Amino acid sequence: MDLSFLPQLPPVFGQTFLVGALLLAGLLGGELARRALGLPRIVGYALAGMLLGPQVSGVLGPGALGNARVLIDLSLGLIVFELGHRLDFQWLRRNRWLFAAAIAESAFSFGAICATLLAFGFAPLLAASAAAIGTATSPAVVLLVAHELRSAGQVTERMLLFTAVNSVFAYVALTLLLPFLHLEHAAAWSLAVLHPAYLLGASVLAGAAASFVLLVLARWVGKREDRQFILLIALVVLAVGAARNLNLSVVVTLLTLGLLARNLDRRHVLLPLRFGYGGQLFFVILFVLTGASLDFSALPAAAAAVAAFIAARFLGKALALLAFGWLSGLRPSGAGLLSVALLPMSGMAVVMVLDTAALYPEFGGELAAVVLSAVAVLEILGPIATQFALKRAGEADPAAAGG
Amino acid sequence: MDEMQFTPSPEMSIGVELELQLVQPHDLDLARDAAALLARLEKSKLPGAVKPEITESMIELNSSVHASHATLAAELATMRDAVVREAGMLNLRVSGGGAHPFHSWSDRRIFPTERFKHVLERYGYLAKQFTVFGQHIHVGCPGGDEAVYLVHMMTRYVPHFIALSAASPFYQGEDTSFQSCRLTAVNAFPLAGHMPFVADWGEFLEYFETLRGFGVVESMKDFYWDIRPKPDYGTIEIRVCDTPLDVAKAARLAAYAQALAAWLLEERPRAPERAVYLVNSFNRFEAARYGLRGALIDPFAGRKKSLAEDILDAIAEAMPQAERLGSAPELAALAADVRAFASDADWLRAQRGPAGALGDVVRKAAERWSAPA
Repeated sequence: MDLSFLPQLPPVFGQTFLVGALLLAGLLGGELARRALGLPRIVGYALAGMLLGPQVSGVLGPGALGNARVLIDLSLGLIVFELGHRLDFQWLRRNRWLFAAAIAESAFSFGAICATLLAFGFAPLLAASAAAIGTATSPAVVLLVAHELRSAGQVTERMLLFTAVNSVFAYVALTLLLPFLHLEHAAAWSLAVLHPAYLLGASVLAGAAASFVLLVLARWVGKREDRQFILLIALVVLAVGAARNLNLSVVVTLLTLGLLARNLDRRHVLLPLRFGYGGQLFFVILFVLTGASLDFSALPAAAAAVAAFIAARFLGKALALLAFGWLSGLRPSGAGLLSVALLPMSGMAVVMVLDTAALYPEFGGELAAVVLSAVAVLEILGPIATQFALKRAGEADPAAAGG
Repeated sequence: MDEMQFTPSPEMSIGVELELQLVQPHDLDLARDAAALLARLEKSKLPGAVKPEITESMIELNSSVHASHATLAAELATMRDAVVREAGMLNLRVSGGGAHPFHSWSDRRIFPTERFKHVLERYGYLAKQFTVFGQHIHVGCPGGDEAVYLVHMMTRYVPHFIALSAASPFYQGEDTSFQSCRLTAVNAFPLAGHMPFVADWGEFLEYFETLRGFGVVESMKDFYWDIRPKPDYGTIEIRVCDTPLDVAKAARLAAYAQALAAWLLEERPRAPERAVYLVNSFNRFEAARYGLRGALIDPFAGRKKSLAEDILDAIAEAMPQAERLGSAPELAALAADVRAFASDADWLRAQRGPAGALGDVVRKAAERWSAPA
């Protein structure tokens, strides 16, 4: 009997099946988290990912996660683009203290984390690198929680602004630390200087070029929502692809694209941004995959350092906001809630840790365990903190928040 | 009875209230930051007052009491500058105009005061739909009887104020074909309409007490009339205007009301007549729908004429008073607009552009409101 028409057993499923499975798992996890526990859907996406991931069931193996890097970059690219597009230079010009407050927020959390890690006996260069990574708030989490709650107001706007600033700060700080990592490795000084210069300079240049193309084409296409949507997606995907192929930073490239698309648009050719349901698909995939890559295994051993890392990070943010917030027109209660809202730690950190560890293997040991454990803890607690802060600030839509 | 005691005010004094839109720049939809903006404005020393309105997307500027157009215009400009500056600190834009072109009323949130919560409970979705933006003009009266006379007489000119101020052609993302669609939102309230045909202040008080006895109203605030007496201020309040796109126009409309009132009270050209109220709905609709190009039935002459012609006649009649009050150039400017059929509503339509992006309309309106004259 010839049964060669049957697939091999057990069947092997490819990428397409994987994407569908990720979406379904995210949907179910998100709804369960929402209905059963009253948590933000994002927590449910991440928990679903964790259950599927190598740490628990292993349905998603390390290989599958590696293949999915494209999806992560695309999703992250869309999110960071949207974040950049929300930033208005005019606001910074009208409210100069705002920029000071944003820089202070980044600098204080960087300083606080760095000091804490030094106290735990890590080498200065390693401590500084980990602190740089820890400074960034997760753009994906804050933007998604804000969307989900249909939140609008001063805390929401500043949360997005500060997240963009501390994401750039984190990346620039880490890049500036690169030469020292290189030199400690006894690399040539030319490599030490050129590598960070290329990373930053070329990423900004690529983002700027893409924004130029976007604006020219948007003007030509006209103010039609359907066509501009295709144009936006095309350029975001193009920019993500170019950044990957040119060894650039997806985050800096796409943030530049968003920022310039907004702020160089003197003729106002771009319509307000709405990714709608299509965007949601990418976000679900991103969080399920992030969840799958979360690593709690080192947490018990490093618990004290992880707790200190998270506490220092929060205190740094809170201190800066309480000190500078009022100068930029934020009430003290708003400053407190804003520092809670900024708690989510970026999934980008995972990538940054891996990239840094590849350059500098010593980083991969205990310190990576601390940072990755902090990411894992905050991936669960962060969205809850952000949701709490936005609701408490009275900026969430009661209908969206209650449902 | 305190609130109903008519406090005489200096004759022909004027003041205005302007309801303004708060807009968020990233999508040009209405913002919800009224509370944060008001908190900042509390700290700056401003003439007049800035107050919350029914939803968190609105604020209301109240001028102080003025004897002349010039000081009113200067004060409004000062208030505009302060509000625009503080709004900029919070990444907000401020705009005139009678309605936001595309906001969704269900997104609106009631400003949390007892009174506004009560309005929401009583009127349901009407309260949120009431996120429309009007200008109220107060004209001082020496006493209650004069106020009653003036309300009856000014009713004839209600279409003038509707057409001159009309600035709400778009609503819920559509061109309504109206010049002022805002009035339609006001019409839905059960106590909208006009004051009954009472002879004097004593008769008005009887009417008010009867309704209060029935539990229909508690205070004058419950009447959403086109023109209502405001005894505690000692004024009549004209409430049909859309908020214009700039403060100069707002001051100009107040100057017109002042000159008309001065003419009516001093010359007493005729006794009040019921006929005014017979044609009121028709005239009001024509003005809201067609603006300056509408028709008007003159209840005294018993004939139909063009609204533009009627306004020009009235301006001519009030001009001597305007000269005495120092606002003749303002009335001349209004007359020039009427002759050119220039209105804020048409200006807004012109900003929409061929692609029909209503966001552009909002942005240009906010730029126009913020520009120092």
